Amino acid sequence: MSQEIDVSLVHVTKRFGDLTAVDDVSFDIPKGSFFSVLGPSGSGKTTILRMIAGFETPTSGDIYIGGERVNDVPPNKRRCNMVFQRLALFPMMNVLENVTFGLRRRGGMSKAEMEKLAEDALARVGLQGLGKRKINQISGGQQQRVALARSLVLDPTVLLLDEPLGSLDLKLRQAMKLELKHLQARMGTTFVYITHDQTIALAMSDTIAVINKGKIEQIAPPEVLYRRPATHFVASFVGENNKLLAGRVTRQVDDQVCEVDFGGIPMVGRMGDPLKPGDTVDLFIRPEMILLRPGKHQDGILGKITEINFDGSHSLIAVALTESSRPLAINVKLQHTEQAPDVAVGDIVTLSWRWDAANAFHPVDQSHIEKEA
Amino acid sequence: MWKRIKRARGLWLLLIPMLLWIGLLFVLPHVKLFILSFQERRGGAFTLDNYAAFFHKSLYTKVFIRTALFSIFTTLLTLLISFPAAFIITKVLGKKMKALLLLAIVLPYWVSELIQAFTWMVLFRETGVISYVLQYLGITHHNIEFLYHNSTIVVGLVYTSILFMTIPIMNSLDTLDDSLIEASYDLGGDFWSTMREIIIPHAGPGIMVGSIMVFMLNLGNYVTVTLLGGKNSLWFTEAIYNQFIVRFNQNQGSAFGVILLTFSVIFVWIVLKITKQDLTEAM
Repeated sequence: MSQEIDVSLVHVTKRFGDLTAVDDVSFDIPKGSFFSVLGPSGSGKTTILRMIAGFETPTSGDIYIGGERVNDVPPNKRRCNMVFQRLALFPMMNVLENVTFGLRRRGGMSKAEMEKLAEDALARVGLQGLGKRKINQISGGQQQRVALARSLVLDPTVLLLDEPLGSLDLKLRQAMKLELKHLQARMGTTFVYITHDQTIALAMSDTIAVINKGKIEQIAPPEVLYRRPATHFVASFVGENNKLLAGRVTRQVDDQVCEVDFGGIPMVGRMGDPLKPGDTVDLFIRPEMILLRPGKHQDGILGKITEINFDGSHSLIAVALTESSRPLAINVKLQHTEQAPDVAVGDIVTLSWRWDAANAFHPVDQSHIEKEA
Repeated sequence: MWKRIKRARGLWLLLIPMLLWIGLLFVLPHVKLFILSFQERRGGAFTLDNYAAFFHKSLYTKVFIRTALFSIFTTLLTLLISFPAAFIITKVLGKKMKALLLLAIVLPYWVSELIQAFTWMVLFRETGVISYVLQYLGITHHNIEFLYHNSTIVVGLVYTSILFMTIPIMNSLDTLDDSLIEASYDLGGDFWSTMREIIIPHAGPGIMVGSIMVFMLNLGNYVTVTLLGGKNSLWFTEAIYNQFIVRFNQNQGSAFGVILLTFSVIFVWIVLKITKQDLTEAM
């Protein structure tokens, strides 16, 4: 399938002195897609965005926008626009002047035409009639929209977004998240979204590139990323997980599934790395994919409930594995459905999961893996 | 906590020293100056003669206009020189160079204006360093007097005011978020349009504060102007000095003083109106 590619990075590396911020990164972003770059702070994701925008030049490698190599094209000549993290609206201008700024730089248009286009752009983001307001007279959410309109009015090939939702409170962030996605779908502009917030990335993206220490860990659609993480880092960074450390592979069931031993308890999981019996592994188990049954059952792992944290739609239940030779605990996310079992602290329960609810990886040096809130 | 501090009546007491200073050393003398300017030299009866003298003697009006124009010109020149420097220091240079250049700007002010002017005289006078060097290099064969020219006055005034222009502009540029500049480029702006639409409007209050200070300093300068421009520098402060000290005509001097003050207040007000700056915002 040949697909038109809007942005392409080919073996891009960026060094600042001794620090390698971006290390041999390559990816293609198809036209009209919502592409996210997800990583912890300091992972190099902002540097990638700034290189696409033209504020940084790659130390080596090439960047293409719309098929044209842009390494030497200055930011004001690139067909991409950026929504800045702190928005960077011009406080000395009103809303309309902010939106027409790019058009005025481009020229070749009457003032009335520019204002017509700007009003259209403002209407598209739901801000009709606010053109005369000062920037400090509108709310944070409205400022987000102005920043979007200011870029979108130029009809860029690519819109770059540097975590612009980060500064909003939770409710507004949720609302803007959906709105942004709808806007992108409606306009068909390619969006490149930089974030450390996986819930945003998972909800909005067609494709996510997970980056860590300047290197791409995995590029995949959100579901694949969530269900079949390619690396230890992705498994621990994306989504909630029970992380069991340093077990041992006892048996390789087939080319995907293995059995693992933790403190004498057999468990099953998907092989994220190629594994063979005797290997030491870390196992990541999704808390919402674990089946919890009250009482003792033959086909599962026995445990005792030590804590129940009620959280509205679900409860997070901490289960200590009673038959383990070393202290092990697993958190289970229990949805409050009609079928949900009635459990209390101190109950004996049986846990089980399908092989693909868990992912097994070779352990890595733990020191640099920090999961961000 | 803060509210409680604000409510404490005692806090206002802390303002008293400053109010005393301003009241006793600024307001009171100026009230006296104002009264004197409307009195006859002998007897102290009410008169407008002191002001009439200013408008009738073309020398005074000419000196006044000359002083005003030169002050404006020097202020603009100082702005022209200081703005790029302030921009480069705050937005372009690294920390070390920034500190070094800032020091270079501040350091000369550790020496008093008087000493500065004297050192300049050493450079500029007929038998001074520059004249000597030019002869040594064979560019000229006789002594050249660089002192007592209008241009020397301007050079000296610019030099003594650079700090007062650069610091407020640097302060205002410091608060300019770099991402605004990047956003301007990102949206297709170039150097000049970014300067015109983003940087200068943002630095407006700083430019205003600097310009007002420098203009006032120039208008009221005496030491630099007299030493570099000589007895005939024809600066209005010199006319005031002559009335008070040489002619013992306090009333005439007071009238000149009031005229200078009134002019500078009105001029600054007009400039603020034209540039649509708010004094409270600028200061």
